[in-house]
Amino acid sequence: MALAHNTFLELVRQKVFYFLLLFALLIIGSSLFTVEFSFQSPLQVLKDVGLGAMSIFSWLLGLLCTAMLLPKDIEDRTLYTILAKPVPRFEYITGKLLGVFMMIGLSILLMSVLFAAVLGIREQQELAEIARITPVEELEAALAAVRASAFQWNLLAGVALIFLKAALCSTLTLLLSTFATSSVFTVLISVVVYLIGHVQGIAREYWLRPGEVSLLVKGGIAVMALLFPDLQLFNVVDEIAIGTKIPLDLFLQVTGFGLLYTVVYFMVAQVVFATKEL
Amino acid sequence: MKTPAISIKNLTKEFSIPFRTERLRAVRSLSLEVPAGEVYGLLGPNGSGKSTTMKILLGLVTPTAGSTEIFGISSRQVESREQVGFLPENPYFYKYLTGLETLLFFGKLCGQRGSELADRAAELLKVVGLESASDRRLSGYSKGMLQRIGLAQALIGNPKLLVLDEPTAGVDPAGSHQIRDLIVQFKEKGITVLLCSHLLSQVQEICDRIGILNEGALLLEGRVNDLVSAHNQTELLLENATPDFLNEIERRAAECGVRVLDRRMPQRDLERFFLEVTRNKS
Repeated sequence: MALAHNTFLELVRQKVFYFLLLFALLIIGSSLFTVEFSFQSPLQVLKDVGLGAMSIFSWLLGLLCTAMLLPKDIEDRTLYTILAKPVPRFEYITGKLLGVFMMIGLSILLMSVLFAAVLGIREQQELAEIARITPVEELEAALAAVRASAFQWNLLAGVALIFLKAALCSTLTLLLSTFATSSVFTVLISVVVYLIGHVQGIAREYWLRPGEVSLLVKGGIAVMALLFPDLQLFNVVDEIAIGTKIPLDLFLQVTGFGLLYTVVYFMVAQVVFATKEL
Repeated sequence: MKTPAISIKNLTKEFSIPFRTERLRAVRSLSLEVPAGEVYGLLGPNGSGKSTTMKILLGLVTPTAGSTEIFGISSRQVESREQVGFLPENPYFYKYLTGLETLLFFGKLCGQRGSELADRAAELLKVVGLESASDRRLSGYSKGMLQRIGLAQALIGNPKLLVLDEPTAGVDPAGSHQIRDLIVQFKEKGITVLLCSHLLSQVQEICDRIGILNEGALLLEGRVNDLVSAHNQTELLLENATPDFLNEIERRAAECGVRVLDRRMPQRDLERFFLEVTRNKS
């Protein structure tokens, strides 16, 4: 825990949370301007923008922070001083990752609070506006429609999946940094894997149509599908944003998938780091 | 027989070179032992295998052949590091931590907690003379202060063995002198020290024994006095001797078949002279 706490402290003191000011600007900005420029309900747009931005910001924050942790410790030789203490290597890696998870968790919490506050304020404004312009006989239905498009508890499930996706991608970045020689390489490969993760589902469907491709290609696709996570599964968050009720088994399936990849990447990172010459 | 603090047996380390078939042999069949309580100097030119040997000893690098043990426990086991404090060359600690936070962090890694750790950290800050800078972040520390906080973190787990890689590199003479005095204090407390340094005068002053490495092999090993003393020569230091008296000594020496090789006024050590001047100034 000392390593996790220290990693978290490192990220806090490096002022990574200033990054969240961008999120704040984005959310407040979108809440002010969506009314005039959108054909959708303003609350709906706000939810789309909020959850989408939360997903991108938490991924980017996790990626950039994780990519620099290990190379920096090796370059500064801080790693030697730490591992010269009675600290097993798996404990070091675990501590670093937990520190990043704590930072992602706190970031998402802060973003969620801000998002919920802005959404609540916009909801009140919408309700007041509807009450002013809607005839009395239609008022109740109109107010119910606004409330339905505002905050709902299933948004929390979306937030949980956003955390899981960022944690998965951070673990993958940590794995890459155990054998990469520079942070730039780690960031680039991690971004490429992120992109592959978002298109591999489409590629798989296209290439695996019956009778159209060779076994070799099918094998290659299967290997790729195993190595890289299908991040499109996390698009279920978009459904949550538009108010669709997500069945529990689908939520558990995506959570299980995310946890499985996170654990596997973490185990591989442990094995690679355990045999690494420092 | 008492278990040695360090035991290195037939140690060999080879590194593969990218895109080439041959391998770089950094350490060749190295064997040495350091008894508990001794200050041992590991010397050698750059690239002679000193740092690799230290890294293997601390379990940071896996040997190609041979073994290393610390107080009888293989370096491959994490437990072997329970008795060790290590100061790497040019250490960079987390600059966002203060001096006190640095010691608390490393203390926790050694399994210490609570008031025991707080007391130990405060005590070590006093030992290395950084009490007044304990709340400052390391980003504001000078090179000498970083070396001293490095020594303090090496000592936080009450180690029986200290491994110091160039502890005075880049430090000014005053800081270097302080570090040397600290090493002497550790020795008096019975702590074994393995010291790598290019400052040979300092090594000569504080080490009991030295080993000289070259191209990964141990060239020479022994007690410092035995290795550097000229056994057929004697130094005689006199005070207030008149020229007549000195001439008389030389005449008597010649009568006895003893050759006087040199006659000169003793010179002060430049380091001591520098320290005297700078202390007087301040």
